[in-house]
Amino acid sequence: MEDIAIQITKSLVSGLLMGLVFALVALGLTVIFGVMDIVNFAHGEFLMVGMYTTLLTSPLLGIDPVLTLPLAGITGAILGVMCYFGLIRFLIKGPMIAQLFGTFGLMIFLRNLALLFMGSEPRVIHEGWLVGKSFIVGPGVVLESTKLAVAVLSLVSFAVVWWLINRTKVGKALTATSLDAEGARYMGISTEKMNALAWAVGGASVGIAGGLLVNFWPVEPGVGLLFTMIAFATVALGGFGSVRGALVAGILIGMIVNLPPVWDAMMRLVHVSGLDIHSFKYTMVYAIYFLIMVLRPQGLFGWKQ
Amino acid sequence: MEAIKNAFDFSDLPKTELSLAAAVLVFLLGFPALPHSSFGMSTMIQFLAFSLYGMGWNLIGGYGGQVDLGKAQYVGIGAYTTAVMMIRWNVPFWFSMPLGMAFAVGWSFIIGYPLFRLKGHYFAIATIATSLVLKDLFEVWDFVGGARGLELPIKGDFPNWLYLQFREDYYYYYILLAMFLVGLIYVNGFRHSRLGYQLRAIKDNEHVARSLGIDVHWSKIKAYAMATAFVAAVGSFHACYNYNIEPEDVMSLDLSVLIAMMAMLGGAGSIWGPIIGAAILVPMKNYLGSWLGGQAGFAGMDLALYGLIIMVIAAAQPRGVYGIVEAVRARRR
Repeated sequence: MEDIAIQITKSLVSGLLMGLVFALVALGLTVIFGVMDIVNFAHGEFLMVGMYTTLLTSPLLGIDPVLTLPLAGITGAILGVMCYFGLIRFLIKGPMIAQLFGTFGLMIFLRNLALLFMGSEPRVIHEGWLVGKSFIVGPGVVLESTKLAVAVLSLVSFAVVWWLINRTKVGKALTATSLDAEGARYMGISTEKMNALAWAVGGASVGIAGGLLVNFWPVEPGVGLLFTMIAFATVALGGFGSVRGALVAGILIGMIVNLPPVWDAMMRLVHVSGLDIHSFKYTMVYAIYFLIMVLRPQGLFGWKQ
Repeated sequence: MEAIKNAFDFSDLPKTELSLAAAVLVFLLGFPALPHSSFGMSTMIQFLAFSLYGMGWNLIGGYGGQVDLGKAQYVGIGAYTTAVMMIRWNVPFWFSMPLGMAFAVGWSFIIGYPLFRLKGHYFAIATIATSLVLKDLFEVWDFVGGARGLELPIKGDFPNWLYLQFREDYYYYYILLAMFLVGLIYVNGFRHSRLGYQLRAIKDNEHVARSLGIDVHWSKIKAYAMATAFVAAVGSFHACYNYNIEPEDVMSLDLSVLIAMMAMLGGAGSIWGPIIGAAILVPMKNYLGSWLGGQAGFAGMDLALYGLIIMVIAAAQPRGVYGIVEAVRARRR
């Protein structure tokens, strides 16, 4: 009984931390979708760019990986704005199918550019302030400092974006653009600038997420797809365009991914060598995504239909 | 009777297109007689396979306007049905292929019913999710070989028509060419069929289509099932042609997207679109891959270029190559 209690606590804690990571990754996607109704398939590749930025600049500048986070954020923002002006601006004039394929082309392009320049072997940061340190908070419950840092930063980012959208003039303009772009244009809002801003904010948040993630998650050119799919699931669960929804849904998905150890502990308790569900942890995420989309298309907090 | 007459009626297409199509057909029929490398042959077989995938996708994605990014799951169902039945019960290809199509269509009804309650992006991403779920299940399902996939036994006795095993590639080529022609004629009939008109009405405006008395949900499900049958048949063929299938190969997201991309690049919603798309993308991918991918230090270069081209096409002419042709023709009038 004690065994299972520890296991549940462990899973809850690591689920919460991992969930905040997923939420931070999904934040950029939901901001972009909320403002311009476009699904960015290259979102995971933006994350990859952020990861590589930290991985490369930290030894180059001789500073700790944590200090390169602003750089990762700026790189992400620049990438976002470049993609908006170079590609997305043209795509939104076409039908939805063109948007899907345009961003998919971007995904293939970025992924293989990374393969060309960085090679295919997975890399991870081996030293730094965060790497390898952990706090023991209870019997068997360990807080890794890397994940803790991402979690804290995730909460901070959410607070900043929430403040930006709900408490500033620019945020009002962003909201106006997302509600009715044409109406916003009549009111003298430059929707072009607002769209670019959404891509900048989205790119920056996912770039920072990448910069932190590389402290404990190996980076390779194909790392993006898993995170893109999880971000889609997170955004769908929380509601497309909802910032609050992304936070709650991210945490929920983190919990789901950390379910298998709990399941194992329960199976041990009843002395059944039951089904091994470890390889299903991401399958569950996709399945839940599918169910959510069918049963409640607007998500938990969504308002866009 | 009407349907069969429609299927062979190409008279509404422009004369130039028909004569071009006839020239291409002559070339396709004569290709194995021309001097060619085995690489060229396998490229042609891939071209035919992807044309068929694209034609299938075109029924729902092109005529119906429902962007489906989960077609690979049906390739997988078709391929696995054929492979499993051949390995376990010695079932010939010609029996397992229709069965694979039936399984795929059955599965498409099961997931199509909830799927088509969604629209636009939501539908597209949900199709990816269903495909990934099925792939993950196949990767842990021991009955179908798990992540390592299945290896088809060599039956010997070449040429083996029953199990579709040949030494020379041109047997495969002609079988696939026959399937290609049947598919083309079916799509031509589909264009003039009741369902074809209903789908185009749905694509233009769903609310109007509904108010005209079209059962929108059911029409989409029917077209989805048709598209599925196409894809599953080629999947079965792929299993026999490759002798080896694994989930990462026949059910991956990349395959789903490639299928949709062929049709979209050529021109979604036109009869020639998927064929044009496959004729451009398949050789480009193969030759770029063998030319650049083979050189040291250039891994990824080919696909990066490929991604770039897709971006440019999506941004410049969302209706694809056929859209360019139509635009030129409209200007000339």
